Amino acid sequence: MKFNTINVIGLGNILYGDEGFGVAALNRFREVSSFPETVCCIDGGTQGIALLDYIESCDAVIIFDALIPLDYDRQVYVYRNDELPTFIHRKMSSHQMGLSEMLGIARLQGRIPPQIVLIGVPPKELELNIGLSPEVSLLLPEAVQQAQTLVEGWLAGS
Amino acid sequence: MAKKIVVDPIPRIEGHLRIEATLNESNVIEEAYSSGTMWRGIEVILKGRDPRDAWAFTERICGVCTTVHALASVRCVEDALGITIPTNARIIRNLMNATQVTQDHLVHFYHLHALDWVDVVSALKADPKQASAIAQSISPWPKSSVGYFKDLQQRLVGFVESGQLGIFSNGYWGHPAYKLPAEVNLIAVAHYLEALDFQKEIVKIHTIFGGKNPHPNYLVGGMACAIDPNSDTAINIERLMMIKKIIDDTNTFIDQVYIPDLIAIAGYYKGWLYGGGLGNYLSYGDFPETTLADFKTLLWPRGAILNKDLANVIDVDPRDAAQVTEEVSHSWYTYSGGDGKGLHPWKGETTPNYTGPKPPFEHLDTSKKYSWLKTPRWKNHPMEVGPLARVLVAYAKGDPMIKETVGLVLSKLEVGPEALFSTLGRTAARGIECKQTAGFMSHYYDQLIANIKTGDYRTFNSERWEPSTWPEECKGFGYTEAPRGSLGHWIQIKEKKIKEYQIVVPSTWNASPRDANGNPGAYESALKGTPMINPEQPLEILRTVHSFDPCLACASHLFDMNGKEITSVTIV
Repeated sequence: MKFNTINVIGLGNILYGDEGFGVAALNRFREVSSFPETVCCIDGGTQGIALLDYIESCDAVIIFDALIPLDYDRQVYVYRNDELPTFIHRKMSSHQMGLSEMLGIARLQGRIPPQIVLIGVPPKELELNIGLSPEVSLLLPEAVQQAQTLVEGWLAGS
Repeated sequence: MAKKIVVDPIPRIEGHLRIEATLNESNVIEEAYSSGTMWRGIEVILKGRDPRDAWAFTERICGVCTTVHALASVRCVEDALGITIPTNARIIRNLMNATQVTQDHLVHFYHLHALDWVDVVSALKADPKQASAIAQSISPWPKSSVGYFKDLQQRLVGFVESGQLGIFSNGYWGHPAYKLPAEVNLIAVAHYLEALDFQKEIVKIHTIFGGKNPHPNYLVGGMACAIDPNSDTAINIERLMMIKKIIDDTNTFIDQVYIPDLIAIAGYYKGWLYGGGLGNYLSYGDFPETTLADFKTLLWPRGAILNKDLANVIDVDPRDAAQVTEEVSHSWYTYSGGDGKGLHPWKGETTPNYTGPKPPFEHLDTSKKYSWLKTPRWKNHPMEVGPLARVLVAYAKGDPMIKETVGLVLSKLEVGPEALFSTLGRTAARGIECKQTAGFMSHYYDQLIANIKTGDYRTFNSERWEPSTWPEECKGFGYTEAPRGSLGHWIQIKEKKIKEYQIVVPSTWNASPRDANGNPGAYESALKGTPMINPEQPLEILRTVHSFDPCLACASHLFDMNGKEITSVTIV
């Protein structure tokens, strides 16, 4: 199946160190990619419900965010579609409450996109500080690469 | 012995708020304590930065009030530097602010607060035919057929049966404090979903004027959008028409859905008039018709009310060092001159000093410091801010539109003005105000068109943009009435950089701990005296706290390492 409208959303609070991973990953993705206009990049920041439209209005969505899985190493985690709710109860930040709720609402409205992928990294530092820790910064290229591969595949219809 | 009940965390959307309440033998709340459990420190991060950039950082503090901090921030910098913004910029800011308040109130009522009054599970048992008849009797809103409610109910049943109750999973369904008939519950759930869809449209106004949403662009000296009726890229006729349609649809939705629902739901709860609290109300005012300094022209008037005395609205000056102060006698901070001495924000200090128990813990020692929120006071009085405060100040000052709408709601509910001093009154005030701000959107649209027609396209005043034009040292105050209440930013600029920055947010006023004199904050006072049907399911506490629309992420950013999702309640 070919996906035409693709939204890439970065979530997180850039004022709290690695909490801003999602926004940093989105900015990097935007810099290094050259996709057609149908691939929209959205800096979701600390927003929750305001992002509902960006979830419901596309064929496929990628969300970058800081996350804490049940047991984890410092690596890039990718969750697809039905895998998402299995970790959302371990949320670390308010907008994830927004995300899980938004997905619930989109599902109830029958407007859940066919493809939802969450790409995240566990944070190391969550102190009041602008910028990622070196450990999390190191994982940015891989996270962005994963997103690019997905988008390329969707655009090609594979 | 008195029982102690702990509710932590409370807001469905943002942030960490912990309520500890003691109950007497009849399960009535004797005392309540409100604690912000996360540190806030935006003030620290702003020091040494370019004041023209402050709005972009402050806008990120909060996940809900995205624009309000940007607005207060540009206003405080302009105040400090003596910048007057062009008429178009004033109108566009007012329009964006009215949009924010309207959207926020709508989302709050349906998405956050309605479920304290509406039993979703009961809606599954409703008769769609009766629901349709009720809906048509209270409003001309077209989505009210039997088929519409039947389809929705089937969708809900399917959702629940698939085990995906999801967004509705943490309610106290079946709680005896729910009073609505099943059919009214079904109507409310239908409008819960419609409101979620509709709010997506309203904020498109932010995208048009602010370039993007969330986190639209603001600019010290005006607005970053260009106006040119004949250009493809600027604010042109096509975009203005789009805005006009959104505004008209918004007014229809508020008039035909929100207000009738509010009255219908409130009618079943008008015997539940708990949660009034302090009786002290504060509004800085907002929506300037000329400049911010000329606060007599504000469409939302400025003023304070003490002890519910509506005959006497007292003048307020947030620049006065004796009026707005913050102390930290019960907050986890240290002041160099003594924790109980209130400091005006221009003299403010932000030095954290956590002396509470190591989490996880069962109780806070509320005789000592117990919150990350500071303790703001107006002339040493604890104050409530927000829609109820603003509506009461406007009502007491004789604002014709507010008097008319308040009168209409009170007469439909067959209650007197004293009913406003309650949780339900706070919820009604939010709806009344939402109708008013939707009207402001039309008002500012008309103003904007009229001003553009004079040939004035200016949106930015660049005279003081260059730091070389700035004084060596200056200070400013910026304010706005955010959806949740009075918001103030106080800045000091020295050698072209931010020397000090202090923010006093609405939730800090409302959720503040006790002060040095032992006076409770607005939440603490409002909860006192509330009877609980079942302390293990503290729906009554949630109702009152949600009625303030808490947004503790503003007051203190959240990062929950335990992944605790639902409101947890422990009886100790």
